[in-house]
Amino acid sequence: MSTYIGLVWAIARKDLLVEFRTRERLTSLGAFVVLIGVLFNFSIDTAVVRPQDIAPALIWMTIIFGGMLGMGRTFRLEEQDGALAGILQSPIPLDAFYLGKVLGNFLLLSVMVALVFLVFGAFFRLTFSGNPVTLFGVVALGVLGFVSLTTLFSAMATRSSMGEGLLPVLVFPLLVPVLVYGATATGRLYAGRPIAEVTGNLRMLAAFAIIFTVSGAGLFRFVIEE
Amino acid sequence: MSEKQIRWAIGILGALGVATVVLLHWMVFFWVPTESTMGIVQRIFYVHVPAWWVAFLGFGLVALCSAVYLWLGDERLDRAALAGAEAGMIFTTIGLLTGPLWGRVAWGTWWEWEPRLTSALILWFIYLGYFLVRRSTANPEQGKRFAAVVGVIGVLDIPLIHVSVTWLRSLHPQAVILSADNPMNLDPAMTATIGVGLLAFSLIFASLFLARYAVAGYEHELDLRDAALPGTQAVEV
Repeated sequence: MSTYIGLVWAIARKDLLVEFRTRERLTSLGAFVVLIGVLFNFSIDTAVVRPQDIAPALIWMTIIFGGMLGMGRTFRLEEQDGALAGILQSPIPLDAFYLGKVLGNFLLLSVMVALVFLVFGAFFRLTFSGNPVTLFGVVALGVLGFVSLTTLFSAMATRSSMGEGLLPVLVFPLLVPVLVYGATATGRLYAGRPIAEVTGNLRMLAAFAIIFTVSGAGLFRFVIEE
Repeated sequence: MSEKQIRWAIGILGALGVATVVLLHWMVFFWVPTESTMGIVQRIFYVHVPAWWVAFLGFGLVALCSAVYLWLGDERLDRAALAGAEAGMIFTTIGLLTGPLWGRVAWGTWWEWEPRLTSALILWFIYLGYFLVRRSTANPEQGKRFAAVVGVIGVLDIPLIHVSVTWLRSLHPQAVILSADNPMNLDPAMTATIGVGLLAFSLIFASLFLARYAVAGYEHELDLRDAALPGTQAVEV
């Protein structure tokens, strides 16, 4: 078991190390988050709607669009350098490879999500009066569900002739539950509503994350093998 | 089944299907009584409900055949999944077109973000992805595997999508045909018309399914022959 976790961590560590050294994805994601925050702010007529009312929905749309931008490149490096063939020939189980990629993407996206909350909090003048632990749970489960699906389909998109353009077509329809439960729970927590109002959301986000992490691990070999 | 038997089955099922569709339309326009609350627009249900029935039948086949195809790798299961997806897509489109026609009169709007309508639209897009991914690879075998993965993930996600959108709000008329609270409370003529509709669409579906399954088999055979010819490469379909 500890060996398996070690393999998962080895893959995630490799991705994070590459990212730490090149800062390729984090730089573009950071710039994307700040710019989209600025653009969203300019696109809202404050005489008609209060920015605070729609900020939670915009936060989740930014997470999804930004995440798509980052996750689309998950397997590009391996594919370009022929490293994928090396990983496939190594004795690492493919489900551990997938889970390592999910873990690496999850940690990377968590940095972006923290930035999203900071940027939107400042630009939309949001004051948080809810329970921060519950908000952390909502975001962590939502991001895990998002990453588990996107990592699987990113492998598919990288190996297809349509490339990254295929990813949104495949993933957006499947992400509806994450968006519905994530955005409503975030909105309610920002509005200071009781935790009891979001426990159902937490359960559904957890179910989504578990179902697609497990099924992704099982189905990954059909996507990655030649 | 031999090739000849499949051709006969396609012809017989198709002819019976067309005849039953003609009978259905006669019943809808001239025979069945008008529903008291919704009026004449309710008659579209006799097309709408059977269309959804066969659409779900098609997508159920996609999920089942895709999962078993990934497990066993049998080409025939992939062909069955493809045939189910194409036939299912046709009937989903019919369901998505007839729903708003009814909604325009009943709800006063062409489109409403109502859970079943929303789930149906998302289902349509999931299977659009199924076809796109299938044709997006240089290696057709890989495309088949990708499509099967989309089929399996799609069927796992549909209940979650439906629960999530239902959680918001529901405007759709509740099921009355198989409602547990009030089972089979329809006028017998209405029940008969719905029954004929289900039969007609099921026959058409079976005919289309078999025809597409047979064509996919011919495509596969052609690929094998092209690959066997010296100096040629398999045609990418």
